[in-house]
Amino acid sequence: MPDTRLLPTYCYNCVAGPDLMKVKVEDGVATEVQPNCDAAGIHPANGRVCVKAYGHVQKVYNPGRIKTPMKRTNPKKGRNEDPGFVPISWDEALDTITQKLSKVKQQGLKDEAGLPRVAVSFGHGGTPASYMGTLPAFLASWGPIDFSFGSGQGVKCVHSEHLYGEYWHRGFTVCADTVNTNYVVSFGANLDSSGGPCATWRHAAARARGCKRVQVEPHLSVTGGTSAEWVPIKPKTDMAFMFAMLHVMLFENARTALDLPFLKDRTAAPYLVGPEGYYLRHPESGKPLIWDLLSATAVAHDTPDIDAAIDGTFEVIKAYEQGPDDERFEYQMVKGNTSFTEMNDIISNYTPEWAQSVCDVPASTIRRVASEFLQHACVGETVEVDGETLPFRPVAIALGKTVNNGWGAYQCCWARTVMATLVGALEVPGGTIGTTVRLNRPLGNRLASVKPGEDGFMAASLNPTDRDNWHDIPVGRNAHSTLVPLLGNNGAWSQALGPSHLAWMFLDDAPEGWERNSYPDIWFIYRSNPAISFWDSNQMTEIVAKMPFTVAFAYTPDETNHMADILLPDATDFESTQLIQIGGTKFVEQVWKHQGVALRQAVVEPQHEARDMSWIATELAKRNGLLRQFNQALNKGAGGISLKGEGYDFSLDVDQEHSPDAVWDAACKAATSFFSKGKEVHDLQWFKEHGFYVVPYKREDWYLYPTMVKQNLRFELPYQERLIRVGEELKRRMHEKGSHWWDLQLTEYEAIPSWHDVPTHYEKALVNMGGKPEDFPFWGITTKSAQYAAGSNISIQLMDDVGRNVRGHGSIILNAGVAKQMGIERGDRIEIRSLVGTTSGRAEPVQGIRPDTICIPGQFDAWATPYAKDLDFPSLNTIMPLSIELTDGTGSGADLVRVSIRRLEAVA
Amino acid sequence: MTRYVMVADLRRCVGCQTCTAACKQANATLPGVQWRRVLDIEVGEFPDVSRVFLPTGCQHCGDPPCEEVCPTTATYQRDDGSVQIDHDLCIGCGYCALACPYEARYIVDEAEFAYGMEPMPNEAARFDEGKIGVAQKCTFCIDVVDAGIAKGLKPGVHPEATPACVNACISGALTFGDKDDPNSPVSKLLAKVEHFRMHEDLGTDPGFYYIWDKKPEDLM
Repeated sequence: MPDTRLLPTYCYNCVAGPDLMKVKVEDGVATEVQPNCDAAGIHPANGRVCVKAYGHVQKVYNPGRIKTPMKRTNPKKGRNEDPGFVPISWDEALDTITQKLSKVKQQGLKDEAGLPRVAVSFGHGGTPASYMGTLPAFLASWGPIDFSFGSGQGVKCVHSEHLYGEYWHRGFTVCADTVNTNYVVSFGANLDSSGGPCATWRHAAARARGCKRVQVEPHLSVTGGTSAEWVPIKPKTDMAFMFAMLHVMLFENARTALDLPFLKDRTAAPYLVGPEGYYLRHPESGKPLIWDLLSATAVAHDTPDIDAAIDGTFEVIKAYEQGPDDERFEYQMVKGNTSFTEMNDIISNYTPEWAQSVCDVPASTIRRVASEFLQHACVGETVEVDGETLPFRPVAIALGKTVNNGWGAYQCCWARTVMATLVGALEVPGGTIGTTVRLNRPLGNRLASVKPGEDGFMAASLNPTDRDNWHDIPVGRNAHSTLVPLLGNNGAWSQALGPSHLAWMFLDDAPEGWERNSYPDIWFIYRSNPAISFWDSNQMTEIVAKMPFTVAFAYTPDETNHMADILLPDATDFESTQLIQIGGTKFVEQVWKHQGVALRQAVVEPQHEARDMSWIATELAKRNGLLRQFNQALNKGAGGISLKGEGYDFSLDVDQEHSPDAVWDAACKAATSFFSKGKEVHDLQWFKEHGFYVVPYKREDWYLYPTMVKQNLRFELPYQERLIRVGEELKRRMHEKGSHWWDLQLTEYEAIPSWHDVPTHYEKALVNMGGKPEDFPFWGITTKSAQYAAGSNISIQLMDDVGRNVRGHGSIILNAGVAKQMGIERGDRIEIRSLVGTTSGRAEPVQGIRPDTICIPGQFDAWATPYAKDLDFPSLNTIMPLSIELTDGTGSGADLVRVSIRRLEAVA
Repeated sequence: MTRYVMVADLRRCVGCQTCTAACKQANATLPGVQWRRVLDIEVGEFPDVSRVFLPTGCQHCGDPPCEEVCPTTATYQRDDGSVQIDHDLCIGCGYCALACPYEARYIVDEAEFAYGMEPMPNEAARFDEGKIGVAQKCTFCIDVVDAGIAKGLKPGVHPEATPACVNACISGALTFGDKDDPNSPVSKLLAKVEHFRMHEDLGTDPGFYYIWDKKPEDLM
């Protein structure tokens, strides 16, 4: 009989995790992934993992793995250059890196331009942090590091939601309170493909109990398929649909259909706006004024026992406006509109009939959806949660990726959030809720991140735009703190979310009046493949090839590490150990009734010469004379949990080298002490048997509303007074520097967003790049695949095996009617061309896509990655331009491009 | 009596293929062999279109056409209603695969592994020469079910007595159990929802039920 064990661990391949699982190990060989049924009733999906997790087994034994450390022998770098990698020992690899780092230390950690000489790039959405063990402690011990170079994240994520969601309601990611909601309008949010087990489980249960979801998107995604209704909207016109919904709510229904108490007390709707567009303020206190219907006077916003006017224009005896750069506009007898009225004035332009002409959706459909949203909102109802009475508003709006980044995304985020506020459905049971914070501290506790700030709102962490403090010289190569005030300057997350394509583009060429970026002396890359996972893969490949010295933590050869100087084979998910925090509320729909920690354990020995990242990090620290700082960082929590806290101290001796197991043993003990408040202490061995440790997490803490009430704060909606001031200041700073290349992006700073014709914007950009719109008559978009989204699975045969059951896998999806007109049949090879390149693949004609749109699922076009390079799958990335003109004010862009279709050959 | 059946809730299924992958690992099937898989079916014409995700595989028919055509009695029905294959008796003639209206049977004549002719350690550890050249299909993970029952566990309730696809499903779409037991999860579920069986008109008495709140013909 074989020695068979079932070992608990976790999967955190994508941001929808972490999820808990078990691995069957037979005579030391991992053979099977299973759910961790011990987590039934604890994990939101009852301990189940999605299809991607089953790929872990093949990941371990994939013959295409990098087996030993390697060094490049061909100094020339490029797609067509053989790197000439030869095996070397770990000693030689680490010594080579140490020599490079020592040289950097001698020269200074920053270069002449003030930019860090060491740059580090990680992959998808921060999830590599759950695999890199103690590497963060090494990075912390080193000093300044540039996290500017992204591989898609920071621009291709749900970027506007990250920035505005966190700004408005501490919602770095935002979702429906799915387990309680009854009506969801989803603009392209493909959660049934990309939401992981938690979202899938929650939404499936919601459907089964009768929750209605309307999916608005150009291509019928998996989520569209499981929705009650699909509305095929023209790409990137979602804001028109949402503005028209607002129009219906504001102009076709009685005010009593709205949650007036919520608007009066929890939003800036009553704040009066002066002639210059800024709040009218109390002459002495400086507080924004609102009109009190009881006393018929303007009073400070926090005056007790008043009845605030929502609608109307009111005359104020004495007030002032606070403009940019300390400019002050003083008034006597000045008229001011409420913010709500300011919004109405703008939204009055956007009737459903107008929207129909823009987004190619019948006005009657938009009107009906808006009305259903209102009808389901249950305005005035309450529900008991953890003994507290809270508003119950079971309606929500979800936004997908291409809706949520690039031009138009600000407007969509604003409209979504304002619609929630109109019916009081923001951060309450059943409504639209945030799940985590990344740009405010403390990370991972969004309720604790709420502090009273200016004007009755939460404190905001903005990058400075005033003359004295603005970062005229960028601190990192994507200039996040210079160009994007909303990003704040809160470490790696803020920097990584900057306009990371600019970091790449400005290495080659910079706009007039802007310094070209210096190359970092050393670039570390981990779980990331920017050469093909960004846009314009050919251009990206050329730029990556120019990096002077690249160290790649490498699983298989790939398109980025093809240009590396050193390859380090790190252990896979099944071969290494780490403790991470789980539960509470995290990305996507990780909304738990528990919180605690889970162990990822080495269920099998590392294959070949692969090494645990924590071992690699310790070696780097030791060889670079940073062991003391490294251990100090671990003690402070760089490994995910502080080793010393109230009532416990498992700190490591800072002068000793510790094995990875010793580090995680201390982390296990510290974490259990912390979560049990000292009642329980469990070591690494206990976790290897039990997998996870949790304590209850209050459901009330899913919602921000109680915290806002306790601190008597208002959501900073609908009017964006602070942002227009910041935007004007930023404009002045850029112009003072002689830079006008960001002017287009600065137009996005509007107090009440107005219609931005994004489709025409894309056509104009095409013309400006030298193309003719008539040559590219279709929209090219992409869609996520459950088998591949962020799973590093392109070389995993199992994913291709099961992915072939899914419509459009590895193909180009186009409308069946269009295909017929063009003589294209299923399986025919077709070419998709944009102004910057071509990609080709098999045609998949379907009914579920608009005639003016093609869709390429996933992101492939691999030419170096084993197995994947032979799949011959198309990729939208290859044909997407890197473009400042297509970059919005937050620094992001959308996976959207004008294309043509050409039939290459008939199916065999 | 016992009649094990599978129930797939089409309102819940998202076609993610987690069940497909879990089945492949639990039963160590070779590339391209999918005892459990989920069809992705487009229904309607633009713009009135939807997609239906339909888990399928052996329907463990009450009157299995595969058994009828089997010349060696390799295919047989157990007392619990499940249809099984004795691989020692099977000659790989393929009649059963042709007779099955659900395209649930596979015959692999030569083993090819995920990355070519050489098995990886995980594949070598689980490779079963006895499945080459013979018919194979979903067994309802009958070994697991039997082992679970021997431990006093209840199929469809306890994971250790339940098929891998059901345990793995991330939408809660799959349920397994004894339809003849009125207290089983499948019986309770089917009692309160609209459901149908695939190709029931062929008289196969399938042991696979689909929960669907629309008309079955909307799927076809």
